[in-house]
Amino acid sequence: MFKIHFRFFSVMEERSSIVKTPLNNVLAQRRSNSYRRSMRSCVEATNLGYTSGHLTALRIPRSRRTPKSRDITKQVDPDQVALLVTKEWELSYVTPLYQFRHTQLKSYSKHLSAFIVSEKQQGLAIEVGQELGFKVNFSVVLGLAETDEDAETVFIQILSRQAFAAKDDAQKVVWSGWLTCVNGDLEYLRSLPSEFVSLPLLCTRGPESLTVLVKSWFEKTFDCCFGPLGINSANLQWLAALWIGCHPNINIQYLKLVWTLPTLPPMDVKYTIHPQDAWELWHSVRQDDTTDVSIEEVTRFIKGLQSHFFRHFRIELSAGSLMQVSTALGSSHHSGKIKIASPTYITTILQLLTECALLKMPI
Amino acid sequence: MDDSTKRILQRLMRRIPSQMLQTMLGKWAHLSREDLHSLDFTQPKWVLTEHLLALCEENGLRVKHITELEMIYIIENPNQGMWHGFQLLDAEEDAPSIELTQFKKQFKANLTELISNVSIKIKKHTDEAIWIRVAWGDNFTKPNHLKPTYVVHHLQTPYVFVTGLTSKYKPLLNQALVLATRYGSMKDAHLSGRNLTAIRDLLMRQYQQVFPTKNPKPLQEKNPVPRNPNIEKEHAENTENRLQIACEAFGDGTLPQLQKAVYKLETKFRDNSNKTLTGREEPFRGVVEFASTNLLESLRHCVSSGMASTPVTPLLSSITQKGRNYFVITDKGV
Repeated sequence: MFKIHFRFFSVMEERSSIVKTPLNNVLAQRRSNSYRRSMRSCVEATNLGYTSGHLTALRIPRSRRTPKSRDITKQVDPDQVALLVTKEWELSYVTPLYQFRHTQLKSYSKHLSAFIVSEKQQGLAIEVGQELGFKVNFSVVLGLAETDEDAETVFIQILSRQAFAAKDDAQKVVWSGWLTCVNGDLEYLRSLPSEFVSLPLLCTRGPESLTVLVKSWFEKTFDCCFGPLGINSANLQWLAALWIGCHPNINIQYLKLVWTLPTLPPMDVKYTIHPQDAWELWHSVRQDDTTDVSIEEVTRFIKGLQSHFFRHFRIELSAGSLMQVSTALGSSHHSGKIKIASPTYITTILQLLTECALLKMPI
Repeated sequence: MDDSTKRILQRLMRRIPSQMLQTMLGKWAHLSREDLHSLDFTQPKWVLTEHLLALCEENGLRVKHITELEMIYIIENPNQGMWHGFQLLDAEEDAPSIELTQFKKQFKANLTELISNVSIKIKKHTDEAIWIRVAWGDNFTKPNHLKPTYVVHHLQTPYVFVTGLTSKYKPLLNQALVLATRYGSMKDAHLSGRNLTAIRDLLMRQYQQVFPTKNPKPLQEKNPVPRNPNIEKEHAENTENRLQIACEAFGDGTLPQLQKAVYKLETKFRDNSNKTLTGREEPFRGVVEFASTNLLESLRHCVSSGMASTPVTPLLSSITQKGRNYFVITDKGV
């Protein structure tokens, strides 16, 4: 049995009041503490077992540092960076991993490949022509972690060999995924007991059947839980602001926003804006280029676009939901898909996604 | 039959779905009844294709017969590929009195004059539409039957619908059509979609249009218990009004199935809350694309449910009023 720590948040301020409950606190005492806090909040009283997502809107930071462009290849091996960029990843959150060791990666590789092979063979007749073997490769991507509390990123690749391939043929990568934590909330990470490693963001790419197998192996081996991570409209707007803010340094080529309106049948509205014009709008909304970006500025930017649209079409885009934001630097979708085309701002994006994952986790 | 003819037939067989094969071949009428009976339609398609190839060889069928089969298939299933609408302008005096044989003769003569190696097939469909199939070649090559252009024209209307036309042959087709129909010129109607019936209905206004009336429809009789009769009355009136306006803009009942509408915006940025950008001289450039499985129904619902404010902006109602789905919007208008 391991102890679980609960986190409580007050409503109006930024996340600053994480209570570190001592290990042998009585449940009743904890509940009254949270009850008092939740009475102060404007939202429904928090049910202890039910904190995921409901308080998310309250915990989003109201401002973020202006991202600085950085050559990530100075910190991370360029070959490894190449593995992460220009591909579309599907996002999930992971609860902390119990007794995960970065030193045991070779053994994990062996165990996972044995697991996959055995699961795939269960109940299936062996067909000629099917993949004969899976090989799993766990590796560490050093350099993405920003703080001392961040665990190093772990990259997993599943390779397969075709039945009639020659011995020397390079094996094909059929699935890849990576677990990462970039600038995760310090107080939360420090409050975890030492046996736990937190790598809350999982990015996967490949057939769903393999994703399910990898997740179930992790769940069995490290007693963790996975869940889908979507990118809500507020975070999509942050990403739009991040990318448009880059425009003076890197040409984003276009800013595309896609809303879905709940008509019958549903209608998609795709608004692609010329990058220079979008940047001028963003610039006009910014108080000062050097200060942090605030959520009001982001909202004003999006509202500006929506009202220009309204003047033409008289349709309220806020009646629908923002589903997708993309530029030449990357694209992000509400269902939890992200593509980072350029490595320059990868840290900022991963930081945002790590934050989303930590917020979405049930504990 | 030479190899290229065989290839055309094989390609065509792959394209026609299995359930339609029997009817298509029946309509084709180039196989005798015994031959048709000898084909076993329960066999896999590739077996059937081999058998059909053999029969065609026996009967000495050539490319022109095969392309007839393709035309029958396309006429029955026009809603594939991308259709573009065109409009003929500056009718001459005798334009309305053109009839079929005259048109056919003129068109064939004009096109063969412009480009020597071209294969033309013209067929009149039951609904008064003329279907033209053109396979293009040039001075050194035979007509390419794998990439034909199809044209649909209703005589006595100024509309033409085209699919599969490359920009290389566009001016030639334009000229041949303009001369054969006795008009002055042909312009792009800025209307395109996958569904030929939809864009034809839209352009030729063959859907259920609704016109403003002085006497609005009376409320339908229902007997719910009114909780607050005043509110209900207000709401009901508003809903009725919105529905009426929505139908006036887009039509009633089943609407033509359009998939997309694209607007290229080149207007100045105007937003009262943003003083800095409002004064800008340059346009705020962008492209808006509306997409849906049935765009007109979505837009109608948008208006009737209140997501779009009334009165309906002319930008949206132009889709039906002008029959187009590509617009460039400048500050001077559409």
